[in-house]
Amino acid sequence: MNAPNTPVPTASPALFSVERLSVAFRRRRQPPFVAVREVTFTINENETVALVGESGSGKSVTALAIMGLLPKYVAEVAEVSRVVYRGRDLLQCSDEARRRLRGTEMAMIFQEPMTSLNPVFTVGYQIAEVLRLHKGMSASAAQARCVELLDEVGLPEPRRALVRYPSQLSGGQQQRAMIAMALACTPRLLIADEPTTALDVTVQKQIVELLKTLKARHRMSVLFISHDLALVGEVADRIVVMRHGEIREAGDAEQIFSSPRDRYTQALLQCRPRTDDVPSRLPTIENFMTETECPPLHGEGWDGDGDGDGVSIQPLSPNPAPTRGEGSKAPLLLEVSGLKKSFYKRENLWRRHEIPAVKNASFTLRRGETLGIVGESGSGKTTLGLTLLRLHQATGGTVRFDGNDISALSKEAFMPYRRRMQIVFQNPYASLNPRFTVGQSLLEPILLHRIAADRKAATELTFDWLRRVGLDHEAFDRYPHEFSGGQRQRIALARALTVEPELLICDEPVSALDVSVQAQILNLLKDLQQELGVSYLFISHDLAVVRYLCDTVMVMRDGDIVEIGDVDSLYQNPQNVYTRQLLAAVPRGRDQGAGC
Amino acid sequence: MTAYIIRRLLQMIPTLLGVVLLLFVLFNWVGGDPAYILAGKVFSEAQIANIRHQLGIDQPAYVQIGIFLKQIVTVDFGASWSTNEPVSEILKTRLGPSLTVMVPLLILGTLLAIALSLVVARYRRSLTDRMVMVACTAGMSISILVYIIVFQYVFAYRLGWFPIQGWSDSLWTNLTTFAALPILIGLCVGLAPDLRLFRSFMLDEVEQDYVRTARAKGLTEKRVLWVHVLRNASIPVVTYVMAALPGLLVGAFLIERFFSIPGIGREVLLAVERSDFPVIKAITVYVAIATMFANLAADLLYKAVDPRVEFK
Amino acid sequence: MAKKLHSFEAETVSERGGRGFWSLAWLRFRDDRVGVGSLAFVAVFFVIVFLSALGVVASHWNEEVGIHDAPPDLWGWLTPAAPPEAMGNAAQRAAQTMENTQHREALRPSTVIDPLAETLMQLQRERTDGALSESRVVDPLAETLRILGADGATPSAVKEKSAEKRTSLPLGGDRWGRDVLTKTIKGSQISIAVGLSAALLATLLGTLLGALAGYYGGRTDDVLNWAYSVFNAIPYLLLILAVAAVLQQRGVMTVILILGLTGWTGVFRLIRAEYIKHRGREYVQAAHAFGVPDRRILFYHILPNVSHVALVKVSLLAVGFIKAEVILSFLGFGVAVDEVSWGSMLNDAYQELILGRWWELAAAGGAMALFVTAFSLLTDAMRDALDPKIREAS
Repeated sequence: MNAPNTPVPTASPALFSVERLSVAFRRRRQPPFVAVREVTFTINENETVALVGESGSGKSVTALAIMGLLPKYVAEVAEVSRVVYRGRDLLQCSDEARRRLRGTEMAMIFQEPMTSLNPVFTVGYQIAEVLRLHKGMSASAAQARCVELLDEVGLPEPRRALVRYPSQLSGGQQQRAMIAMALACTPRLLIADEPTTALDVTVQKQIVELLKTLKARHRMSVLFISHDLALVGEVADRIVVMRHGEIREAGDAEQIFSSPRDRYTQALLQCRPRTDDVPSRLPTIENFMTETECPPLHGEGWDGDGDGDGVSIQPLSPNPAPTRGEGSKAPLLLEVSGLKKSFYKRENLWRRHEIPAVKNASFTLRRGETLGIVGESGSGKTTLGLTLLRLHQATGGTVRFDGNDISALSKEAFMPYRRRMQIVFQNPYASLNPRFTVGQSLLEPILLHRIAADRKAATELTFDWLRRVGLDHEAFDRYPHEFSGGQRQRIALARALTVEPELLICDEPVSALDVSVQAQILNLLKDLQQELGVSYLFISHDLAVVRYLCDTVMVMRDGDIVEIGDVDSLYQNPQNVYTRQLLAAVPRGRDQGAGC
Repeated sequence: MTAYIIRRLLQMIPTLLGVVLLLFVLFNWVGGDPAYILAGKVFSEAQIANIRHQLGIDQPAYVQIGIFLKQIVTVDFGASWSTNEPVSEILKTRLGPSLTVMVPLLILGTLLAIALSLVVARYRRSLTDRMVMVACTAGMSISILVYIIVFQYVFAYRLGWFPIQGWSDSLWTNLTTFAALPILIGLCVGLAPDLRLFRSFMLDEVEQDYVRTARAKGLTEKRVLWVHVLRNASIPVVTYVMAALPGLLVGAFLIERFFSIPGIGREVLLAVERSDFPVIKAITVYVAIATMFANLAADLLYKAVDPRVEFK
Repeated sequence: MAKKLHSFEAETVSERGGRGFWSLAWLRFRDDRVGVGSLAFVAVFFVIVFLSALGVVASHWNEEVGIHDAPPDLWGWLTPAAPPEAMGNAAQRAAQTMENTQHREALRPSTVIDPLAETLMQLQRERTDGALSESRVVDPLAETLRILGADGATPSAVKEKSAEKRTSLPLGGDRWGRDVLTKTIKGSQISIAVGLSAALLATLLGTLLGALAGYYGGRTDDVLNWAYSVFNAIPYLLLILAVAAVLQQRGVMTVILILGLTGWTGVFRLIRAEYIKHRGREYVQAAHAFGVPDRRILFYHILPNVSHVALVKVSLLAVGFIKAEVILSFLGFGVAVDEVSWGSMLNDAYQELILGRWWELAAAGGAMALFVTAFSLLTDAMRDALDPKIREAS
């Protein structure tokens, strides 16, 4: 074993190594939950290592264990584990010694910049705090250094930003401030835990670029944690893929993308839809994880180093669906013209302040087709969906559904249309009533709209719908909390379909789900459309998902429709500047240009 | 800011009218004819009519409410029904003693609870924490009456450390002699609930993401608690303390009663026993007004401690 | 971090499977040893209270079964073979206590100008006049006693019992010879019943109004919020006292109404906030999308989701109302003279304490402290099992 003070010189100097790290969480009346099991990897000087995995893979717990931030009262790190930094096993160090390392040698940034910054202190104070604590700087020296740091991370007007509170900054600016704080003492290792997940795609791009620049300038090592393999492909030198607390595969980024050895890694790479090629059906994790259905992939399947539009072999059904695109003659289902929705904020007793959420939206949707609405947060896409369903009252404009103007109907007269148009929401945890069994949730619309003759027939019908969305009828008596996110989304889908709607508005239905589950739900949506002929209005911030599912795409920004068009032409030949920006910001992993 | 304050002041008007209406209904209709109460046990119809006329309750309701409003504005509620002392005089002279007891009590109690809750928050989830909380619960479960009776009996009556009751004109004598035991009792009664509440404020903050950030910065645990957590927890603490301010005016009814402190609380109890309606009405209205101003002050202070708050 | 840990808990929970919200809450509750213990304790109290309400026990609380101020002798009653001297000793000790009390100078001469100077001077004079020892002991607090209106007057309701009077009782006797133990049981029944009923009334009212205000918003919310701010502008105890002043009759029902009708504001605010939160939730939006009528959403969809908040609030309020009832009854604004509650017992006990008779104070104060402690711990455990985010202050 190494003596603590003399690190063994190796060919590539490992700044940092994690050896056989296992972390368990104590539970009441149950054996401890092992969140991380025997994880081993190293980070070299000036290297970016990425930890990739879906939720519950243990990647964040690993990071917290490295930092020594796991709460002692629940988390237990195994005896054999070692976290070695410059030859010292940190797990053997005192709490005080570890504290001194934090902020100086190793720093961390988090997923939610909004909640991770202290809301009642100014940005300047929070950064200066680090400098004064670790470097013993005077107040004025610290302030001067803060300005430099804020300037370096690209905050506009750093002097003014100094005295701002976190709530006065945008999400991207908050994350920049977090980075400035982490950089204050120029740490050797920066741990970034999903640093861009809460941000819009264009902002994500900027933050990732910033991290790359800073890393190069300060010759830091970075541990980049993300669920997004494509994003990781743009930043990482080496990638560690984790699942259920264990490492599935570790290797050079090039190798992971070009010839992944592990089935799970292959699955992760394949189930994610891409903006530059459209399979008719996404492979799902089961396709990879069961031996018999293993697709022949090695060496040929993934067009790893190509320029992106090379011919790639689709593992399951190689031909694009024939129904896609060009000049469908199906009848119009939905015609929206000049739709407007504003919210009002009372300024004082007499004046109201108008906040337009949707300005003058006009578009059409044909039967059996899918219209994608793409936009970043605050673009008005969700409001548009809710307004169409009259869950919000429109401020102006007309909506024609199947030829009838439904925008001015009374509540009673609109009732029949409540059967004909339905919605699936983003958050599968909030969209089902937690106190209702699945059966109760599904029966209600059937009984309310008198779709089945009696309760027995209605129950039969719910069993049928559960089966169609891929669930067992045992689900009937269970409560939502007993299902996973993907299953809940299936239930929500079944509930919306019980009334046999002609239009289904899908509001970010897969955004809250893991990549592997996303693929299943997207496939399900596609199958159901073919089976039922239902039209989708598919709202999403995710351009790749929209590309996979939609016939027509509409891009929204700040309540305006900036571009609308056929999916293929819009993706291949975007007319609007903003659309181009959006498309350019989508992470593509390794297949567009090499390395970082 | 000014616009906000003006708007808030305007919003007080309907609330105040509501309070007036509530009291009017309560004292004129719910409790029966006040003339009979004033007349006492022996009366004739002529006396009743005379009293009704004097009180103005033979007039239509809106005129009476008008009179009530005028009384509020001019601070002239006439004389007490039982002692004939002018009500305004009662209000003026009784306020001082109440504040003498309550102001030190509020300040000391809050500081003590904040300090102890931070200590408890440091040992959260430990056995000590749990024991302290159970002890607090037990302490809260004993009636304030028992505290007062026992403390007065033991410390004043048996041990003679404090005077049993009494009051003087000198603020200093009052504070050091007569108010000492009442304040001590108030501290003992108030500590347990305050500690529990403040601890929950602290623990709410300890779970937040920014605390993790602060630790990731390498701050000491002491600094995390005393700077980052305390600063955030001060927001609900301020709200809570401001909400307790109007209570200063009423004082602690029971403490004033037991120790014969001539404060507002004791006056209210006396008035309730003697059905002295003008006194109760006046005290209630002015305390309500004070409450509304305290709420406004609380919101302004809120802005000072929480930069996220914006006045709309 | 907090989120992370919660997700682990969620996982634990879902592994148990096949259960609704309440049975999951029960599983969590069962793990809380303090909670289960206090539940058992509260249950015992409830059984006694129930038996008392049915008249099985403590129905004769108002009878004179012992000598005046009979000393407590719990040990003697538990071990029947104990020699009779034990009781005598207890009586002697009580007498001695009185003796000591008399020797002590109870009041310092006050040299400062004092609004109460006259009363005090009078007290002083009586003392130097060498009045009867009994009255000298009572004197310092005479004013209070006089106001309380119970000074020396035997309640008309006390029933004389010709049978042989006992010289000691398990928890002693009061100054009319009533058994403190049965009095405590009866008092517990009244106090607990009043607290719970008033809490139920206030919670029902607050929940209904809060649901309407939170769900509908707009004008409904404005009006109800106005009512809330009016009630909230008057400090709670002051409001209760004002109502007590105008209501001339005393009694259990009056107290329940006073407390219940004035105490709904806290529940209102909490439930209103919950409804505003749930109103925006996706499951409610989904119900709207199906055209589910408002009333059904209000009471069938959302209410079950906030019912646990109301439940916790009932028990928090019950504790508050029990304390309030005790104060009201102590001051003589609560239960009627021929009823007994912890509050009226404390009133009796206060007067007895000065004579050295501490046992009624201990019995009433102790019973209340025991019950309220157990009930509060139960509430805590319940809240932890249901939703730890519910606060007591509001």
